[in-house]
Amino acid sequence: MFKTPALVAAVLAGLLGLLVAWGHEAGRARSVGKGGEALAGSRVERCLTCHVKAAEDPGGAHAKAALGCASCHLGNPLAFEKERAHAGLEREPGALATVERTCAREGCHPREAAHVSSSLMARASGLVAVDRWVFGEIPSPDSAETIGQVLNAKNPSPGQVHLRKLCGGCHLGTRRGNRDDAILGNGSGCAACHVAPRGARDPARAHPPISSRVADDRCFGCHSRSGRISLSFEGLAEIEPEQAAVGAPCAVVTALPDGRLACRHEPDVHRAAGMSCSDCHLHTDLMGDGAVRAHKEEQVEIVCESCHGPARNETTWARIEDPITRDLLRQRDEIRLPQERVLLGRRGTPLRNLRLAASGWSLVTKEDSRALTVKPTPSDANHRMKGHERLSCSACHAAAAATCASCHTRFDPKRRQWDFGSGAETPGAWIEASEGFGFAPPALGVRDDGTIVPAVPGMILDIARVGAPSAAHRLFAPTEPHATGKKARTCESCHRSASALGLGTGVLDLDGDEPAFMPRQPAAGNPSLAGDAWTSLFPVSPGKGTRVGFRSLDAREQRRALAVGACLPCHAKASDPIWPDFRLSLARFSERSRCPFAGTSPSWIRSIQSRD
Amino acid sequence: VSGAALTPFYSPARALDSLERLQGGLPWGFFLRAIHAYSAYGFLAAAVGHLIQVLAARTDRRLSGGMWWGSVLLLLFLVAALLGGFALRADAAAAEALPVWRRILEAVPLAGAALSRLVLGVRTGDLGAVALHHSGTFTLLLWLLTSAHGERVLPDRRSTVIAALLSAAVAGAAPLPLGPPPNGTSETAPGVLLGPWYLLGLQGALMDLPVAAAWLGPLALVLLLGLLRHAERRMRHSLLAALGLWVAVYLGFTARVLLAAGR
Repeated sequence: MFKTPALVAAVLAGLLGLLVAWGHEAGRARSVGKGGEALAGSRVERCLTCHVKAAEDPGGAHAKAALGCASCHLGNPLAFEKERAHAGLEREPGALATVERTCAREGCHPREAAHVSSSLMARASGLVAVDRWVFGEIPSPDSAETIGQVLNAKNPSPGQVHLRKLCGGCHLGTRRGNRDDAILGNGSGCAACHVAPRGARDPARAHPPISSRVADDRCFGCHSRSGRISLSFEGLAEIEPEQAAVGAPCAVVTALPDGRLACRHEPDVHRAAGMSCSDCHLHTDLMGDGAVRAHKEEQVEIVCESCHGPARNETTWARIEDPITRDLLRQRDEIRLPQERVLLGRRGTPLRNLRLAASGWSLVTKEDSRALTVKPTPSDANHRMKGHERLSCSACHAAAAATCASCHTRFDPKRRQWDFGSGAETPGAWIEASEGFGFAPPALGVRDDGTIVPAVPGMILDIARVGAPSAAHRLFAPTEPHATGKKARTCESCHRSASALGLGTGVLDLDGDEPAFMPRQPAAGNPSLAGDAWTSLFPVSPGKGTRVGFRSLDAREQRRALAVGACLPCHAKASDPIWPDFRLSLARFSERSRCPFAGTSPSWIRSIQSRD
Repeated sequence: VSGAALTPFYSPARALDSLERLQGGLPWGFFLRAIHAYSAYGFLAAAVGHLIQVLAARTDRRLSGGMWWGSVLLLLFLVAALLGGFALRADAAAAEALPVWRRILEAVPLAGAALSRLVLGVRTGDLGAVALHHSGTFTLLLWLLTSAHGERVLPDRRSTVIAALLSAAVAGAAPLPLGPPPNGTSETAPGVLLGPWYLLGLQGALMDLPVAAAWLGPLALVLLLGLLRHAERRMRHSLLAALGLWVAVYLGFTARVLLAAGR
């Protein structure tokens, strides 16, 4: 049988093949996991033959005994060998690029993931639109362009480069390792909020827990920047190291987790009561509701009035259909009877943690289940004052807002800087510098619907391009500072304050024939305008904002506010008889007023009735 | 026949799991699987080689008309059996290929829907019917047709030993990898998933031609080969030229799909 050369060659080849196969077999045996358990639920999940440590278990609803690893991390759960098992592994489950195959897979959270993808935290379209509008690249601060599109732009415009270098790191779509340094977290997309930072709660735990409860530290990563509302809420105001070196504007200076310094102030009244961000903010505020919106104030559904009234949106649980709220209640074994009353956000999402007790509405904190009484807006003279109808709650109750009127941004083409679009350093750097941050009562601005809200310097800048005239911008942004005080700001802090009127820092003189304003640091080329001003005194046209229609107080509104301010030194109390109808009081004042000030009062006050 | 060793470890209901177990979980499982696959490839290569030899030596006339047509059909069944084996891998390429084959079969006039149900089963993704035909129907038909063609029920011992040794040699030197799982990431699954190597021409044709080309092409090949036995002189030359053209076009489409896949 073995006599022919062909047969001999075949035998030799076969033996050689066997020898090589022996090596393959030895390698295979080495790479196979040694653990015994290979089932997650009833599914084969061979990841568990290697990943056997308890520390690798996120626990809770996502416990590996139930879901295994591959449900979230992808890869190949049927494979025996490490290399093959880890092919296609998603190290950052929840990342928006792969969310449809991780969190959003059928049977898990497809609805929530779809909402997140259309939410502003993922799209950042307001931020993009305002920035590119200021750069003169688009005609309006409203646009549907997303930060994702900016980050993927092949030939980015200067405005897009600005966004890619400075702003792209907070977007939910950028991955871990390509995030802003301030963000201490375990991932992007869903994980940015729902996965705790590694070792934050328990350093021995390798796999961080996953929870529908979003702790404040998850919000802090992104929202301690820019408007700095997370800082304000905690009673912190960022300061520059130089400010601390020359004597911080506060008694206590604390270091933030990312090394920045902050002054300690009074926390927001809600924080002081033990509330966290998610006690107020609804799932629709944070994850969106599937609708595409341009700016954050459009997406946020909760408003002060939702809880505190006076006009609250209310129904019974029988009429609530919101499936996400229903799921959350089910998860927590909470029962709401159909006839039980429930308060609603602006778009009808139920405030599930507010319940009606005998003493009125109370809020149950989501973190530690403490019941807090929700105080209704009092119906006193302050809240019924004629002329205050257009004021938002925060116009008076925002004690302070973070500002940075002296912040400078310049472009240095010679330096290199991280580009969140390409995930690498690229030529050109936008450099931010500041002479110090402020934390003071904000200016007041007027929305296009007439509502008066707090406003902070948004963009006060000149954009100069080679070969083109420079474009000057002096734009303020509407804000909810998240520094709510139980007590409202004083009457003087609005009616006798230059900064509240948008004039910036300086001295306001109401005693002359016409009010006058002397800026402390005049703007370059304009001695009557403060460097940090939004507008001038009695402007021909009001200062512009970062939203369509948003503006500073106009000349008529400034004059009326100052007329009140002129009377405040004597008529300080809200219950004073001149305030219920100030116009009438002014009319009387000009004719036969008993006011000792009447005879010598400035002419602009006497003439205000006829002007208005 | 080498597939018999794999049968105890294979379940069409858990196809990918079975393959992963064979490939990584069972000692020497990868080797047995590779021997089975390379033996089948060897069978195909030997059959095509034998066909070319027959056509070159003009010995096709020695077979009766019925036997010749049976031998031509043997090629078709051999490819069908190989195709079944490819589908049973249940990896990304196989999972992607199944609905394509279903569409091709359904595109056959009149009998298409029934043919599709018969060969691929009723539900997409259920590999029960494919497994049955792979290890049963097609294997049996191949055996019957090969036996008839060779006029013996079993192959000779020497050839069997050489074939087994060569298969073992190739299986040991180049174990067959298993493709990425279905629904993998773009990182694991390339943009264009390649079908079985012997059908790449068909895959390439489907990139440019309507789906009917996928059954008209093979049908044309069967007819060309079948009619060769009955053709005289000029007709035979014409048929051989058409056959050559068919092969050239097929190789062209193979190159087309390989280029598209970036290989």
